Amino acid sequence: MIRSTRFTKRIRIVVAVVVGLVLASPMLYMVAASLMSNTQLSVQPPQVIPSSLHFANYSDAFTGMTQVIQLRSFLNSVIFTTGAVGLQWLLCVSGGLAIAKMHFRGRSFVTAMFAISLFIPIITTLIPTFIVTYELHLINTYPGLILPIAAQTGFGTLLFRQYMRQMPEELFDAARIDGASWWTIFRRLVVPLAKPATAAYLAISVLTAWNMYLWPLVAAEGGSLQVLTQTLALVGTTGQGEVTPQNVIFASVVIVTLPMILVFIAVQGAFIRGLTGSGVE
Amino acid sequence: MSSRPLASTALSSRRRVRVGQLLGARASVGAMPPPPRSRRSGSTPWVFLAPNLIMFTIFVVVPILGGLLLSFTTWDITNGWPKWVGLANYHRMFSDPLVWQAVVTTLKFIVFGVVPTIFIALGLAILINVRFRFVAVVRSLYLIPAAMSYAASAVVWRYIFLDGPGYGVLDYAISRFGITPPDWLASQTWALPALDIITVWLSLPAATILYLAALQRIPDSLLEAAALDGAGLVRQVRHIIWPGVRYMTVLVAIVALLSFTNGSFDLVNILTKGDPLYATQTLIYYIFVNGFSYGFFGYAAALSVLQIAVVGGLLLALRVVSGLVRR
Repeated sequence: MIRSTRFTKRIRIVVAVVVGLVLASPMLYMVAASLMSNTQLSVQPPQVIPSSLHFANYSDAFTGMTQVIQLRSFLNSVIFTTGAVGLQWLLCVSGGLAIAKMHFRGRSFVTAMFAISLFIPIITTLIPTFIVTYELHLINTYPGLILPIAAQTGFGTLLFRQYMRQMPEELFDAARIDGASWWTIFRRLVVPLAKPATAAYLAISVLTAWNMYLWPLVAAEGGSLQVLTQTLALVGTTGQGEVTPQNVIFASVVIVTLPMILVFIAVQGAFIRGLTGSGVE
Repeated sequence: MSSRPLASTALSSRRRVRVGQLLGARASVGAMPPPPRSRRSGSTPWVFLAPNLIMFTIFVVVPILGGLLLSFTTWDITNGWPKWVGLANYHRMFSDPLVWQAVVTTLKFIVFGVVPTIFIALGLAILINVRFRFVAVVRSLYLIPAAMSYAASAVVWRYIFLDGPGYGVLDYAISRFGITPPDWLASQTWALPALDIITVWLSLPAATILYLAALQRIPDSLLEAAALDGAGLVRQVRHIIWPGVRYMTVLVAIVALLSFTNGSFDLVNILTKGDPLYATQTLIYYIFVNGFSYGFFGYAAALSVLQIAVVGGLLLALRVVSGLVRR
């Protein structure tokens, strides 16, 4: 009996590994193709293992005739991601504290408003959001790129509210009696204690912002504000027989995705907690 | 649809703040009972909420309400102010055959994507809900696509989908089984399923994580006991696993639904531009074209109202279905 369950478990593990490899295969193929020569990549039938490693594809993605990635775009992506996520974090923690621990008229209305907004993502209000930004003369500026995304505070505010509601009431009473202002409580107590929630929030928001395509596409038509997803979309849209060699394109995708893969591996636990609100062991 | 699944169920954390440790830091005050004080906090809450609410109002509330107003106007935004035209945009919408095609395409894209995502994710979660030494590494294989953007996926999958058995990896693999592969992105029948395949792939990590979280609340002993009693996998799924994870399905569906709503623009714009012959023209893409290519901002706003209604309708349908399943 025991032997048979152990055998079943072993089969299950093998199946789990094989299925996992299949699911990860597009990404594994991406990495393999980014290291192939262009001749090998276009050979028939298609090959999946590089016969020799062409690391030059990666430098080619940044320089010369084959350039795909402008350093400016890389910088723009970094500015957009840190700006939008950093600002939104500040809005969400302070707002979260207010609706979690402070008592005021209209609290449930505000909470409900945030909740409803979760089901109306910016993609469905693209046109009016663009017009608001346009009327504020913010199109083709960093604030125009960043502010409308930072303002999507529904998810973050509710995440922090949920976390802060579980902080014991006595803690806040004690601090108040000690003469601490809400501002001190916020800075010295709530922000440090909410670190796990912050980690979960950052994990999800950084990925979302770095990978965002539609808003930067309309908010920064000009080109100098172009972010990396637009760069990829451009090489992705050009048909076959294009100027950029396919292996350099694959290298570019790896370069753009790698920061997020590293982030994801580093914060996988926080990402999972942010999504589920509980520990997956 | 209430916010309950996202705001409460999903985030109902089991984490406990270590009360003793926290209070220990301020033990001197802990001994004194707090005097009765007003629970209202005066204007302070609004100070803390103001930055958030102001931004939220400008870039979320105003666009939603303003979009509704704008749908009764025509405007190309470069000339003067919007002109009130009453229901004209809605009349036009009802007689525009491309709108209905776009709605059907959107529904097909979402339903044929979200439903497989739910079933596959549950299967995957069951598969990786085992403990062994390198389980964390193996789970990473399942979760890592979550780091990919739609744009990056589009570039990679375009190459995987290359047509002809001699070119694309996928077509080569399929033809090895003696099946003639379809033309994928160039085919009127297969372009939309191809986009669904990419989006399912991108939606699986989040959905799998959610199911895994639910699965891990089922005690191991329960499944072991069932196995010892001779219950096979099918019976375990039916009698223990599904009842245990059923509540999570609504949240999985909502998260997937929102992810497919986003995918319905990014992938279409990068890979197909609505082609071939409008087969992949989703409503969001049609809105984008009307606004930013033709400059029909009033009409695009009316279509956005329809888009919100479509997503809202799907959420409502989800609620009805989940109510039926629960019964």
